[in-house]
Amino acid sequence: VTTSISSLFPARFLEVQHCRLRGEQGGAANPIVPTGPYVFCSLPSQAKHSEQHEGHLYTIPLEEVKAVLPHGLPHRFQRQIKTFNETCIMVRKPALELFTYLKNSNFAHPVVRYVIYGERGTGKTMTLCHVVHFCARQGWLVLHIPDAHLWVKNCKELMQSSYNKERLDQPLQASFWLRNFRTTNESFLKEIKTQQKYVWGKRDSTEQGRPLGEVVEQGLTRVKNASDVVGVVLKEIKQQCCLGSFRVLVAVDGVNALWGRTTLKKEDKSPVSPEELTLVYNLRKMMMNNWSGGAVVTTLSQTGSLFKPSSAHLPHELLGKEGFDALDPFVPILVPNYTEREFESCYHYYLHCRWLQHEKARTEDGKEELRFLSGCNPGQLERLSAPL
Amino acid sequence: MAAAVGWGAFGSGRWPALARCCWRAEVAAYFSAPAASSPEAQQREGEGGPARSATLPPGMRLNPGRAWLRVVGPSGRVGSSACRLPPFGLGLCLSQQIPNFLHLTPPAIKKHCAALRDFCTEWPSALDSDEKCEQHFPVEIETVDYVSAGTSIRNPKARIVTLRVSSTLGKQLPLFLKTSFVYEFFRCPLRRQNYDYGIHLLTVLYHESWKTETWESEKTEEDMEEYIWENSSSQRNALDTLLQIKATENVSNVTKEELLASEVVRNYRNSVIALKNEGETESNISQYKESVKKLLNIQALP
Repeated sequence: VTTSISSLFPARFLEVQHCRLRGEQGGAANPIVPTGPYVFCSLPSQAKHSEQHEGHLYTIPLEEVKAVLPHGLPHRFQRQIKTFNETCIMVRKPALELFTYLKNSNFAHPVVRYVIYGERGTGKTMTLCHVVHFCARQGWLVLHIPDAHLWVKNCKELMQSSYNKERLDQPLQASFWLRNFRTTNESFLKEIKTQQKYVWGKRDSTEQGRPLGEVVEQGLTRVKNASDVVGVVLKEIKQQCCLGSFRVLVAVDGVNALWGRTTLKKEDKSPVSPEELTLVYNLRKMMMNNWSGGAVVTTLSQTGSLFKPSSAHLPHELLGKEGFDALDPFVPILVPNYTEREFESCYHYYLHCRWLQHEKARTEDGKEELRFLSGCNPGQLERLSAPL
Repeated sequence: MAAAVGWGAFGSGRWPALARCCWRAEVAAYFSAPAASSPEAQQREGEGGPARSATLPPGMRLNPGRAWLRVVGPSGRVGSSACRLPPFGLGLCLSQQIPNFLHLTPPAIKKHCAALRDFCTEWPSALDSDEKCEQHFPVEIETVDYVSAGTSIRNPKARIVTLRVSSTLGKQLPLFLKTSFVYEFFRCPLRRQNYDYGIHLLTVLYHESWKTETWESEKTEEDMEEYIWENSSSQRNALDTLLQIKATENVSNVTKEELLASEVVRNYRNSVIALKNEGETESNISQYKESVKKLLNIQALP
C-alpha cells in the first residue's frame, strides 16, 4: 500500500442537487442549487467545516475509510457503509467544538485531555471517528484504540510478561491492534527511528536508529512479544513528538475501562486489576499530560463497560474516583441528541438513500412519528429506520 | 365544684392545671360575655321557645331571646348557677367524663381562646423568621399531644420526644454536628424522662466530640466526609500542569503559592469541590469545563 495519508484526498462529490447552505458561497467545485430542504452535500475540505455546516453530512471515500478508520467505526455503521456503499458522517457541534480547540491549541504546552461523554446512542464514537479522520487528513499520527473495554474482558490468552513478572500480556489483542496501527500510519513508521536498543529475546533485538516499522514487524511476527512492542511504540512516540516534527492524536474509545475492574482471572482464580495488564499500564502512561505536541481525545462508554449501571453516563460515574483524578484537569464535551436540524438532515438522508421504504415514512406524520419514537436519539433513529 | 375536685385528683401535671384554668376562665367568660343574639336566632328561639318551654319543668323553661350559649355555657356544660339543668357530667364517674373540647362548636371554642388569651404572652417580635429562630434557638424539642374522642387522655405515642439540632450550632463545634441532627427519643415510658435523656445525650456527645483519639490520625482520603481540595491529586495535577506551561513560556520563578492564589486556580478549585461534593449535574460539569478551559488557556474562537 503506497498511498500516503498526509496528502489530501479530493473528496468525492455526490450527484445530489438538493442542498441549502446558509450564507456559504460554496467550496471549490460544489454543485449547489439552493432549493429544497437542506439535505446534505459533500464539502471540499474538513478544515473549512464551521457552524454553517452543522447538520450537513459529508462523505469519505471508501479507500480512505479503510486506511484511516480500519477498526474504529461502530458496528452498525460499518454495516450501513456496506449497504449504502458510501460513508457519510454528519457534521455536529461537539466535533466542531473539538476542531476549534485542536486548531487553536498550543503544541508547546502539555497535552490537553478531552473527554466526550453523553447518553447511549448519541454519537460519541462517531464524533471520535470524525476527529480521527480530521487529524489524519491534517497529517497527524493517530493512535486509535477503538474500544478499550476489549482489553479488559474476554481475553483468551493471558501470559506472564517477560519484561516485568508482575504484569500480564495479551498477545492476541496486542497483535490485532498493531496490525491496524500499521495500516493507519504507514508513512510515519518509516520516519520515526528508535532511540535505544531493544532486546526481545536471545536472538531478537532491534538496534538504535532503526525505523519503528521494524519494531512493529517484530511484534507481528513474534506474537508473544506483541504487548511489549505496543509499550515500546507508545514510549517512542511520546518521547519524539515533544520535539515537534509531528503531531500525535491519542484517541481512546471507552477510556473508563482503564480505571475500572476487569473480568479476567489469573491461574489461581484471583481477579486481575487493570494496572497488571501491560497494555493497560502503557496506555495509562500515554493518558498523562507529561508530554506535549498533540492531543488526547477520549470517549466514555457505558456499553461494554463492566460493573457499571446502564444509566451511568456522567464522567465521574463512569471513570470512578481513580480515573477522574488521573485525567483531571480535562475538558468534558457533551454529545446531545439530534437537534431539529440534524434530525431533518438524517431523515432526508435516509429517504434519499431509499432506506426508508415504508410509504407512510415519507409523510409529515411519519416523520413526526419517527421523531417521537426515537426521541431524536441518533442510535434509536437508526434502529427504527432499519426495518422500515 | 365537685368537677373541679375531680380534675384535681388526676394529679399534678399540665393537663389538669390547664383544665382548671379553663374551668375558671369559662366561668369568668360566661359571666362577662354579652348576650349575643341575632335577629334570626331570636326568631328561631321565639318559635321553638314557647312551645317547648310549655312542656318542660319550670327550671328548664327558656326565655326566647336568650342566647343558647348563655344557657348552657361556653363548654356545653352548664354553669352551676346559670340554669337548673342537671350538670352534664353530674353523676358520671370520672372515667366517663370527656377530657377534651372536641364536641364544642367553633363560636364556643373562640370564646375559650379569648379567655385564655389573658394567660398567654405575645410571640417575641424579633423572632419573625425561621432562620432567626434557628439562629437563637438551635436546639428544638418537639413533642406531640394526642387527643381522642374517648375518655382517656393517655396515648403511648405522647412520650416521644424529637430533638432537632440545626446546623448553625454545628459550625462552632467539631465535625459531627456540621450537618443538622434529628433524633427521636422514645425508650422511656414518660415524656419527661425521654426529654432528660435527650438533653443528657446531647451533652455527652458534645463533650466526647472534642476528644481526639490516637487512631484518628490514620484517617485516609476515603474516610473523609467531604472533599478537600488542598493536598489532593487534583491540586497536584493542576499545579504540575501550570508549572509545565510556565516552563514552556520561559516564565520562571513563579511559586506555587502565587499559582494557588491566582483566580483561575481558585475557580478551578471551586468547580472541582462542587463536582465532588454535590455530585454531577449539568451545571456543575459546564462550570468545571469553563474553569478548565481558563486554567489551560484553551481558546474557543475559530
